[in-house]
Amino acid sequence: MNTPRQLLRIQCIARFLGTPIQRVIPPTGAHLQTPGTQHKYGQLLRPLHCSAVCSTSRPSQTPLEKTVEAETLKKDRSLVTHDDLFERAARDSKTKADFNRVVDVFSKKDIRRRGHVEFIYAALKKMPEFGVERDITVYNKLLDVFPKEVFVPRNFIQRMFNHYPRQQECGVQLLEQMENYGIMPNVETKVLLAQIFGEKSHPMRKYQRIMYWFPKFKHANPFPVPHVLPSDPVELARFSLTRIADDLDAKITIYQYPSTDITETGEEVMRPHIVGIQSPNQRTLLAKHNPSRPVFVEGPFPLWLRKTCVHYFLLRADPIPSEETVEEEFDLEMMGPEQSLFYPQRLELDLERDMGDDFRFDVDDVKEGPVYAMCMAGQGDQVTLSQWISGLQETCPILGQIPTVFRLESGPRELQTTSDAQQTPEQEVETDPIIEEEPLHSQRVKQ
Amino acid sequence: MNVNKLFGLTRSVSFGRNVFATRVAQKGDCVHHFRSRRFIRSSARSLTYAKDLFLGKVNKAEVFPFPEISKEELEELNQLVQPVEKFFNEDVDSKKIDHEAVIPPETLNGLKELGLFGIQVPEEYGGLGLSNTMYARLGEITSLDGAIAVTLAAHQAIGLKGILIAGNDAQKAKYLPKLATGEHIAAFCLTEPGSGSDAASIQTRATLTEDGKHFLLNGTKFWISNGGWADIMTVFARTEVVDKDGEKKDKITAFIVERAFGGVTSGKPEDKLGIRGSNTCEVTFEDTKVPVENVIGEVGGGFKVAMNILNNGRFSMGSAGAGMIKRLIELTSEYAGTRKQFNRSLSEFGMIQDKFATMALNAFVMESMAYLTAGMMDRPGVPDCSLEAAMVKVFSSEGSWICVSEALQVLGGLGFTKNYPYERYLRDCRILQIFEGTNEILRMYIALTGMQYAGKILTGKIKEMKKGNVGVVFEILGKKLKDSVVKTVDFGLTGKDGVVHPSLTESAKMFEQNAAHFGSTVESLLYRYGKTIVEEQLVLKKVADVLINLYAMTAVLSRTSRSISIGLRNHDHEVLLTNTFCKDAHFKNNFLLTQLQKNSPENNDANIKKIAQEVIAKRAYVCSHPLDRTF
Repeated sequence: MNTPRQLLRIQCIARFLGTPIQRVIPPTGAHLQTPGTQHKYGQLLRPLHCSAVCSTSRPSQTPLEKTVEAETLKKDRSLVTHDDLFERAARDSKTKADFNRVVDVFSKKDIRRRGHVEFIYAALKKMPEFGVERDITVYNKLLDVFPKEVFVPRNFIQRMFNHYPRQQECGVQLLEQMENYGIMPNVETKVLLAQIFGEKSHPMRKYQRIMYWFPKFKHANPFPVPHVLPSDPVELARFSLTRIADDLDAKITIYQYPSTDITETGEEVMRPHIVGIQSPNQRTLLAKHNPSRPVFVEGPFPLWLRKTCVHYFLLRADPIPSEETVEEEFDLEMMGPEQSLFYPQRLELDLERDMGDDFRFDVDDVKEGPVYAMCMAGQGDQVTLSQWISGLQETCPILGQIPTVFRLESGPRELQTTSDAQQTPEQEVETDPIIEEEPLHSQRVKQ
Repeated sequence: MNVNKLFGLTRSVSFGRNVFATRVAQKGDCVHHFRSRRFIRSSARSLTYAKDLFLGKVNKAEVFPFPEISKEELEELNQLVQPVEKFFNEDVDSKKIDHEAVIPPETLNGLKELGLFGIQVPEEYGGLGLSNTMYARLGEITSLDGAIAVTLAAHQAIGLKGILIAGNDAQKAKYLPKLATGEHIAAFCLTEPGSGSDAASIQTRATLTEDGKHFLLNGTKFWISNGGWADIMTVFARTEVVDKDGEKKDKITAFIVERAFGGVTSGKPEDKLGIRGSNTCEVTFEDTKVPVENVIGEVGGGFKVAMNILNNGRFSMGSAGAGMIKRLIELTSEYAGTRKQFNRSLSEFGMIQDKFATMALNAFVMESMAYLTAGMMDRPGVPDCSLEAAMVKVFSSEGSWICVSEALQVLGGLGFTKNYPYERYLRDCRILQIFEGTNEILRMYIALTGMQYAGKILTGKIKEMKKGNVGVVFEILGKKLKDSVVKTVDFGLTGKDGVVHPSLTESAKMFEQNAAHFGSTVESLLYRYGKTIVEEQLVLKKVADVLINLYAMTAVLSRTSRSISIGLRNHDHEVLLTNTFCKDAHFKNNFLLTQLQKNSPENNDANIKKIAQEVIAKRAYVCSHPLDRTF
């Protein structure tokens, strides 16, 4: 409880030493703000606050305080100043520590926290730059910049009207930014809000609404994407492919790990990663594919994972024309009534389901061709993808007899950076037989 | 005395048809009934009991009176039963069989000496030549050891049954004598790795050799009881058959395969939960040369053979279950009578009494169902009792499980130890719900077979109704109105010329009510679902359950009526059991039938399906942990 006294003492020492107060106070501030001491801190600030109020009437204002005040007064109290503060701090690095330092500097610079609303607005704007926009502790720290108890309405008239509207708006704005980034306030936030604005203020209401809706929506997405995606491209591909292929049986195969080889001539050859996914059902479908009809490798198609875009490729075929579809032959002895060994698979009745019990929707089905497999690769060129196809051939030998057509669109830049020229001869040999069989007409074959 | 004499007379004529005849006038009636039944018997049996229930008809002639065996047969049976019972009580060490997972050869020899390997094989082939009813009676005793019961059943109920019912004389003469004595052991090879109950996906293939004298058999069969030591196997395999259009088609054919033909290898015996002493393993055929003479029936006709074997082999499970429960009642009641808790013996507590009542009821119903079905099967002609047999199997397998579990519960912790046989019985009887067609599949079979039967007859009427034929609609509305006003259904079970004893009138009325309600429910289900009812498994399950209850009620009513009429010992207890069971089943049926109504609030099927779909989509329990938090 003697921290304020300590603080005063530091101020005194600072006065004697003649050092600028900003440099001395941060460590103390840091000491004050160790997590868990927020409660105390709020209480501790009270004497400080009082002193600030009193200070105007106090005749013996210290010269230092005056200078600090003058300094703040000198500066234009506009947004630019505070932006400046951040910019100056962030000249070399932009980290959470830097951000916290700036906030600390501001808090300790002026005991009256003059211009704190502008400062908070500026800080909110700068948060994404410092990468702290998802950090609840930083938000709490920013809230802490508000002086405590001043804005709490003291009588019913104040309570009736919008007490300190700008400050309340600022508080709401801060909470709104948290909301937009999906950050859930915690108890600390609540305590701070109660101390700053009182129990029935607008920011408090905002807090309550957030706390009502946020937990309800937290797990609304049945397919959550983590905030931090795996950095390893193979892991990322694995994650994305399982996300698209909604089949728990689907198996991921890594056809090639990313690697860099140095050939005899000293050239560096990049081997891109190739990760594919195929379910057993897809495998059986592919095995039944009519070899006289081509299959297509298509892509790249985008998949957005929060702010990252990845691309995938499909191995698909055209829908089977109706004249070729063979009805599964139905052996009456095996399935029919009074015939089946265990129980009839169907009844021989001339009765359909009654309309009142037919809950099927009338859906207009668009016939689509089967998708046999999917992959993600470090490069979207044909050479890489034909490696994928030859990898698939190991489990589906029939793929060797099926003409494979590559219908690749010019992919995104990052996929194209490594040039197509880096083909090794053996890869070409591998792809050759496949290309031979291509019906070249009308298909845009990308070489 | 006079009355008794009268009964004796009635029995000598008709085995107690219309059994509570107290007036001479009714005796003439009985004879008349009897004659009419004789008439039906001699024609191809067109009457069916369970199937007709789907139409809301009660063919009382089929199930009343309760079937009997003649006095000579009974005496013969009793002579057989005594040594078997003695053997099982004295010479069979079930604990050791279970522990060592093998039946010792001495025990097997003992069984062979008793002739238990050829119970149903005709005497001319060296078997005992017993009827289904008598087979069921012996099953009560053999069931005291699960492993032996399964070994015997796999040998004769399915293993050699193919030869017995569909084999030609040469095959019978060649194989049956050795099988009947137990010198050779038989097995039934149908199930495959890829096809559990889905017989359509049999992969084992038999190809005719070029000389046309042999089939080469290739494939693997799974979970073959007696597979390790069987010498003769009934194997089902695909063969190429040219049908009448000249097209080549794959059809299933049944073969008699001797292990001596070569190329037959058995896998390691499976380590099972129960019936550990029985031998279950994989059997592989590799280019096994089977002579064409060994085809059972005709080439391509294996399906029917398999169907007949399986469909009619299941009834004995009822008597087996009953035999086991009767033994358990003896064991547990002794414990409950001596064990003291809070200064009272265990048997004085209501909840313990409840368990004994459950056991007695189940044993009673199972027994009644099993012997009613066996009796129906023993009638001359080609009986089609597959539906009834399936019902017996479902009811008794589930009843046994409940009863064994209750018996174990009476002993509490002691029942859980290996010092007592309860845990072994519990493990052994778990298989009953699985083999010979799982209960789920049999329920589908029961419901769908009946639906098909009823559907064929009702299609015309329903179509007229759907077309909006005013006449038909009015007729049905009128019938419904009448039913709701009069509320009494009368199938003639009670009252004058009734077949049920008057002391069971109330129960019989309940049964009649349920039967009528069931008929109209089936009709409305056919109206609603038509042939797509195949996909409505939850509906079919309820239909099957109602039918099983109805058949069980029939069996107990029939049996008790006979018992009262001929004055069997303790028939008052039977009346008590019958009335209790019928009341219980009546309420269960009412609930099920209410659930089957359209838009019934009691029906939870849609929710049940949805829960299952969500769980299966995730392949895990879906809910978050109750201790989880979101903030």
